[in-house]
Parts: sequence; structure tokens; C-alpha cells
Amino acid sequence: MTDRVDLPQGTLDLLILKALSLGPQHGWAVSERIQQVSRDTLQIPQGSLYPALHRLERRGWIVAEWGASENNRRAKFYELTRAGAKQLAAETATWDKLTAAVSLVLRMT
Amino acid sequence: MLADMKFRLRALFRRLEVEQELDDELRFHIEKETAKHRAAGVPRAEAERRARVAFGGVDRIRNDARDARGISAFDTIHQDLRYAWRGMKSKPGFTVAVVLTLALGIGANTAMFGIVDRLLFRPPAFLAEPDATHRVYLTRIANGREVRERHFAYTRYADLVERTAVFERLAAFAYRTVPVGTSERSSEMTIGAVSASYFDFFLARPELGRFFGEAEDVPPAGENVVVLGHAFWRTAFNASPDVLGQTVQIGPAQYTVIGVAPEGFRGMSTGNMPAAYVPITSLPRTPAYYQNYNWSWLQVVALRKPGVSVDAAHADLTAAYQWSWGKEGELVSRASWPSAAEVSARGRAEPVLVARGPDADANARIAAWLMGVAVIVLLIACANVANLMLARAVARRREIALRLALGVSRSRLVQQLLTESVFLAALGGAAGLAIAEVAGPILRTTLMGVRASEPVASDPRTLIFAAAVTLTVALLTGIAPLSHAVRENVGSALKAGAREGTYRRSRARTGLLHFQAALSVVLLVGAGLFVRSLLNVRSVELGYDVDPVALVYGNLRGVGVELAEPDQHALVQRLLEVAASAPGVRSVTPVLSVPFWSFESRGVPIVEGRDSLHLLGSYTLQVGNADYFATIGTRILRGRGFSADDRVGAPLVTVLSESMASAIWPGEDPIGRQMRFGGFDDALFTVAGVAQDLRGEAIHGEAEFWYYLPADQFTALEEESALSPQFFVRVDGRAEHHVETLRKRMQEEMPGASYVNATTLQELIAPQQQPWKLGATMFVAFGALALALAAIGLYSVIVYTVAQRSHEIGVRMALGASVRDVVRLVVGQGLAFAIVGIAAGTILSLLAGPWVEPLLFRQSARDPLIFAGVAITLVLVALAATLRPAIRATRVDPAASLRAE
Repeated sequence: MTDRVDLPQGTLDLLILKALSLGPQHGWAVSERIQQVSRDTLQIPQGSLYPALHRLERRGWIVAEWGASENNRRAKFYELTRAGAKQLAAETATWDKLTAAVSLVLRMT
Repeated sequence: MLADMKFRLRALFRRLEVEQELDDELRFHIEKETAKHRAAGVPRAEAERRARVAFGGVDRIRNDARDARGISAFDTIHQDLRYAWRGMKSKPGFTVAVVLTLALGIGANTAMFGIVDRLLFRPPAFLAEPDATHRVYLTRIANGREVRERHFAYTRYADLVERTAVFERLAAFAYRTVPVGTSERSSEMTIGAVSASYFDFFLARPELGRFFGEAEDVPPAGENVVVLGHAFWRTAFNASPDVLGQTVQIGPAQYTVIGVAPEGFRGMSTGNMPAAYVPITSLPRTPAYYQNYNWSWLQVVALRKPGVSVDAAHADLTAAYQWSWGKEGELVSRASWPSAAEVSARGRAEPVLVARGPDADANARIAAWLMGVAVIVLLIACANVANLMLARAVARRREIALRLALGVSRSRLVQQLLTESVFLAALGGAAGLAIAEVAGPILRTTLMGVRASEPVASDPRTLIFAAAVTLTVALLTGIAPLSHAVRENVGSALKAGAREGTYRRSRARTGLLHFQAALSVVLLVGAGLFVRSLLNVRSVELGYDVDPVALVYGNLRGVGVELAEPDQHALVQRLLEVAASAPGVRSVTPVLSVPFWSFESRGVPIVEGRDSLHLLGSYTLQVGNADYFATIGTRILRGRGFSADDRVGAPLVTVLSESMASAIWPGEDPIGRQMRFGGFDDALFTVAGVAQDLRGEAIHGEAEFWYYLPADQFTALEEESALSPQFFVRVDGRAEHHVETLRKRMQEEMPGASYVNATTLQELIAPQQQPWKLGATMFVAFGALALALAAIGLYSVIVYTVAQRSHEIGVRMALGASVRDVVRLVVGQGLAFAIVGIAAGTILSLLAGPWVEPLLFRQSARDPLIFAGVAITLVLVALAATLRPAIRATRVDPAASLRAE
């Protein structure tokens, strides 16, 4: 097993939005994709995934629709809305600024 | 935002579906996870286990997802309601007390609002421009006093229409109670005689057909067309659409139905809903009514043009009236006709609702007062409920402290307590509506004289009012326990333990109690004032007997053709004989004027050497036969009454009322003097007697001038018509037991569709006493209610404090306090209640006195007797409420108290 890192507070929403920005996905696929792309470093706490999805839906950043999964099972697909895309852009910018700032400070000699 | 609401609402209302979807979603996830593990070669059972473990508790996720969906706010309310409901169920006595108290308060207010709103605030339904629509009043000075009129002759109305310029339109209308329908199925109904312009004041479209137009409303005789009222159309014609073109008998004439008014249309009327509307000009049977000014019967409304001020409207009406007054002078061509300036003739454009204008009757003013009284009752009810809730909050101190200690936020606690008081208030409000539904129509009948009831619960304005009152009540009753809970000191409350060791006098509770006591005093003083007024009204010397006298009168309008004069005379004679021979009848007399009902006048008498008689007052003409004075019970003070010898051909005689005689011949003997009366050419009458004064126009005010002529002589002199059949009948015992027999016997003599009505003098006079009767009844009822509420409040507070202080009392007794000391301790609290209440209430009552006084009848608003009576009552009630708890306090066992120490 690779080393895993706990998600910093508030980043889960950002990751979900990012995952969905590549196309509509159902919940399991969202967590799988994040895990794969982060090479298993980021593990989505599965208990938080669905509440987070519902929260984002309530805010209007994503919409849900029932559809057929790859093997024709009924699954709920989430899709990024226009407002969600905007939100993603804004949060990404904030995140970049934050990480840049944090690493600057950490490299202080 | 919208998406948010939609999402939340779906989550709330399609709850099951949403939960089901979540389950499906979670199951799908677990399946995928299991499949992944199996693909990696993990055995099936192990794969499933791993998937579940990774996932965590499904229930927790469900809960979290629910929170995320944002329905938790609704959930909390639901929870709070259930909590409140459980609390209420566990204390049914408390709940019933609170709900009943609030129901009485809210019910009284809702019922009163329905009345006051209709009397004073609500414009007539469908009225297009209530603010620019005015009722027209005309004033002038007569006999040194200002006379204000709002009923005018048709000619006057036509003059106003012709001579005013600032009004969009004017309309005239009158209500008449006439027999409607054919003879056997006829009944008396209110109909509206209205000008064609009347309908233009309203934004109402006829339900069927059309309203009538100007062309159908032209003097001397308009078309016999009728617009039916919606309710009458429903009851009499089963709402049949074929009603158009049918004929209806209204009074003496047949009318053709041309339309049906929309539902709820009542024109300018606040009283009974008119059954039908006919052109004004179709109603009069008096010749030349549109040319002379003799018959004042029309009310006039006017709509200001846009941009015209009310002052300009006054001025315009004044100018028109002055012109019209001059025209009237030319018509009567009397040399002594004063100019418009001399009588300072003025017109006024006042609010369209009579009760808002200068002619507001005592009923309207008393209704407004009763609204105030109802508000006071509500305040007392709120104080009582707040007190009960406060007591409960104190009892729940530990529970509340515990919950605070366990981490319940104060805002959450506040929300919960508020939910509780809103819930209780809502129950009270619902019960109050039920009370108003029953009480409203009764009040409306007594206050407004309206027969048909309109349901309270389906009237949106009343409902909104009731809802607003309920919400206010919820806040008022919730605040005291809330502030208590919010200030709660967790530590001390918990430390205090189950036994409330320390006695804490609750200033809020005492304050509420004293507030109730003061308000009770105010209401009781009001009750006393109105009861005394009513007694005063009843003891007014009317100058005639009331109980044994009946009034019977035939209505000849239904005959269809006018009776010839000799025929009518013969009919009257026949009816007189029938009435006189009825069992129990002592005597009968024909009459012309009837107290508080109708008055005949022939202008100002003429006496040689006295030329200012018109300045003395107005003169009412009465006629009667030889039995007149015996029948009505008016005493002859000097000279004689009429006798059988005062017949046609004998010397003309008259009897004067005492005030009239002494006004014309002050300090002289009037007997044998001679005088003339208007309308009888130059006939000279000799004063044969002086009768005691009587009250027939107003129950208070200046003395009235009445003069009497013998019926036979009057009939011979009167040119045009015979007397109409209108008699006073004196019976043995009370008149109401005889009216029906009299009516039946006389009815047998009536030709065609004509009919006889019978009533008692008592019934004619009752409306005069009505305002005070009503005021007395309502103030007594509300006052008693207030006092009962205050007494209950006092009792519960005393019981509570005695329970709280029982330990302290025990210690005091152990230290040597006597039974008397203990009683004094408890009763003292009750007396403080009474004294503060009396002091504050007396001050409030004295302050309000100047406003009530005009409503009272020969009664000072500062009557010390009433104040003293109320004070004694309050002290007695306070003693009664404290007695039982005081006795209980003396039974405290000192030994037990000491052991507990």
C-alpha cells in the first residue's frame, strides 16, 4: 500500500468538481478517478462522498440524472453545471495561490 | 437560490422517493466496489466485507446526506412541534386553560373586528374609488340650532346634480321595506331605490342581464324595471337564468326583471342586503315629488373628479345648496322665507360610511369602544397565559438548565419555546375563530340590526386579522418565559437541586398580575358606568305608558289601486271598531305621529302677537280621538283632553304639550287662547288643555313641542286624504300578548293584498335604549371575564409562592410566628395585588373618562360610587383568591421544615 494522505478540510468539493469537469460520472467513478489520478495517495472517505455530492447538487453546482452505467445498471450520474464550472475555476485559482504561498513559506531558508 | 429551494422542497415533500434514490445509489456503489475487489481476485464474501468496511455506516451517510440536502430546518420544526405536543399532552389542564383563555380573547376580538371593520373601515364592496366617494350632508341653521340632513327630496338631488361641477357623478338612493311577491307568498323585504348613476360607482358587472340606465330613471315615473340582488335571485328564483323578463310584485307595482347583481353586491348599504334595486323614479306615489321639497327620503353620494380637493367639494355643494334653497323659497312663495345666507346653508362631502361621518350613531361609537374593550380582554388573557407559561418555565428550570448544560444552544432553546407558544396560540386562535363564528352574527344583529349573518371564517379580512392577532399573542405570551430561559444560570439552577431551596420573587409574574388587576378595574368601572347609564335611560320619563300600548297599522300600498277617500275613511272606521272589540282591549285611538317612528309636522303655529315662534323649536302634530290621552297614558295637566263633542262643526280645539304652552305664553294661562296651524287655511283653534311633555324624537335633549288635534276635526280640514289606518291600542296587561290577535282580527277586514302590522311601543323604544343596553351587557360580560381571569392568575401565583415558600414558612413558625402572621404574609400579597390594581386602574379610568362621558346617559364618568364599588369588589376577589392558599400555609409542619434543613 502506498502512503495515504488525509484530505485537507474543504478540498473534497474541489476534487469532486474537478473530477466531474471531465464529464458526467456516477459517485463510485468519481472516487475511483480521484484515487487513480492521485496514484492512490488521495483516498476519498467514502462516507463523505455522497453527502458532499448532495450538498453540491443543492448549491446548483452539479445536477444529477439517472442513467445506465457501462454494464447497463441503473446509476445516478452527476454533471457539472455552468455555475459549477465557474466555482471550480474560482476554487482552483484560490488553491493554486494557497499552495504557491505555502510552498514559498516552507522553502524559506 | 431557486435551484436551492427546488432541491430542498423536493427533498422535503418527495422524501420517500429521495431516500429510496439514495439507497439505490449507495447500493450501486457497494456493488461496484465489490466487483473491483473480486476482479483483483478476492473471494466474494471477503470482497463484500471490504467494500462495506471502506464505506462505513450506511445510516450515518444517510443522515449526513439528509443534512446536506438542507431539510434539517424543517426537521427541527417538526421535532419542536412534537416536543410541544408531548408537553401539552402531559399537562392537559394547563393546555386547556391556556387555549381557552386565548380562545376567549381572540374570539372576542375577531367578532368585534368583523363589526367595527364593516362599520368604520371596509368600503362598500365593489366601490370603485372609496377615497373619492362621499356622502353628501346639508346643514343650515334653524331655530338657532344647526340642522344636519342626509336625506333629501328628489328635487334637491336634481338641483345638486345640476348645479355642482366638481363631481364626476352623483347618485341618490333610498332603502324601503315593502312587501315583495304576490299576496299569499309576499313578505317584507328591503329594496334599494337607486338612481341609474348609482351602478357607475361600482366596479360590478351584472351576474345576468344588465343594470338600468338613465333613460329608465326619469321623473315623474321611471320604468318598472328591477335588478335582483344575488341572494334574492338564489332564494326566490333558484338562481334560474330564465329570470330575465319575468315580473315581480314590489309594493303596489309589477316590475320586470332586467338583471341580477353580482354576488356580494350590497350597494352603499352596511345594513341588510337589499333584495332588489329599482329606479328611484319608479317608486314615489306622491305627485310632484320631483318639483317640491316636501319629502326628504334620498341619500346622496358623490364622486370627486380627479384632482379636486375635499374643500372644493364642500364649496361646490354649498353653492349648489344655496341656489337650491333659493329655488325652494320661490316655490313656497312665503314672505318670511329666509335667504340661504340667513340660514347659513352649507353642503359637506363626508366619508361614504355613515358611521365615519357626522351622523355616526351611538351604536357605532360604542362598537368602537367595545373593540377597545375586546383588546383589553385580550391583553388580560395574554398576561394570564404569559403568567402560566412563566410558572411553567420556572418549574422547568432544571430541565432547561440541564439541556443547556448538555450543549443545547440557547438559540435552539428559544426556537423550541417559541414553537411552543406559537402552537398554543394557534390552537387558541382556531378555537377563537369558532367562538367568533357563533358570537359574530349575534353581535352583528344587535349592533347593526342586520338579520342575515355572514360567516366569519370565510371572510378574508377577518381571517387575516385573526391570524395577526394570534401571532401577536404568540409573541406576547412567549416573551416572558423566553427571557427567563435565556437568562438562566446553568450552574445555580442545577445546584439548586430538586427542592427549590430559595424563594425568588418573580418580578415579571407580579408585574403581569398587577397589570391584569389594573385592566380589570378599568373594565369594571366601564361596566358600572354603562349599567348606571342604562338604569338612567330606563327611568327617563317618556310622558306616556309603554308596556300596555300596541301600535297597529295597515299598509294599503299592496291594494294595487289607491282607495278612494270615502272608502279609506270607512275602512279606518271599521278597523277601529274591530280593534276596540278585541278581547282585552280597553281603548283605541287613531294617531298621526308615533314616538321614535314617524312624525307629522305642519310647520310653525301662528299666534296673534307672537312672531318668533319658529325660533322656539320644531312642532310635532298628533291627532287622536276622545280616548287618545287615556289610551297612551299621557296626563292632562290643565284644562281638558278631547271628548266626543269635539266633532266636525263644533268649535276647533287643540291640546298643547306643557313645554310648548309655556314657551308660547310664558307665565300665562294658555287655556282659551287661540292659534292657527299651517296647512288648515285660517282655521282658528282654541287651546282646551295642556298635556304633560313627552319624548318621541330623542330620549334626551331639549323638550319637544307636541300639539294635538281631534281626529274628526283634523280629517275634515285636511284636504287630500283620509287618515291612514294607524292606531294606538291600550290593552290589559302587556301589549306583546295581544298584538298577534289584533293583527289577525284586523287583517280579515283588509282588502286585496293590503295587510296589517302590529307591534308594541316597547319595541319602538327599545332601539333608543339599545346602545346603553349593549354597552352595559358587553362591559359587564368583559369585565366579569377580566376579573375572573385576574382572580385565577392571582390564585395560581399565590398557590405557587406558598408552595415555594413552605419551607420558609415552616422555619418562621418554628421561630414563633403565629397563624395570624402566616395568614398576613400570604393575604398581604393578595391585598397588594388589589391595591396596586385599584390605584393604577383608577388613574387609567379617570384618564379615559372624558372620552367615555359622551357615551354615557346622565352619568358622570367620575362617579365615586362606582369607583368605590369596584375597589371593594377587587379587594373581596383578592381575599377570596388568597384564602385557600393562606389556610394551606398555616398547615405547614414546622418540624418537617426543620428536619429538611
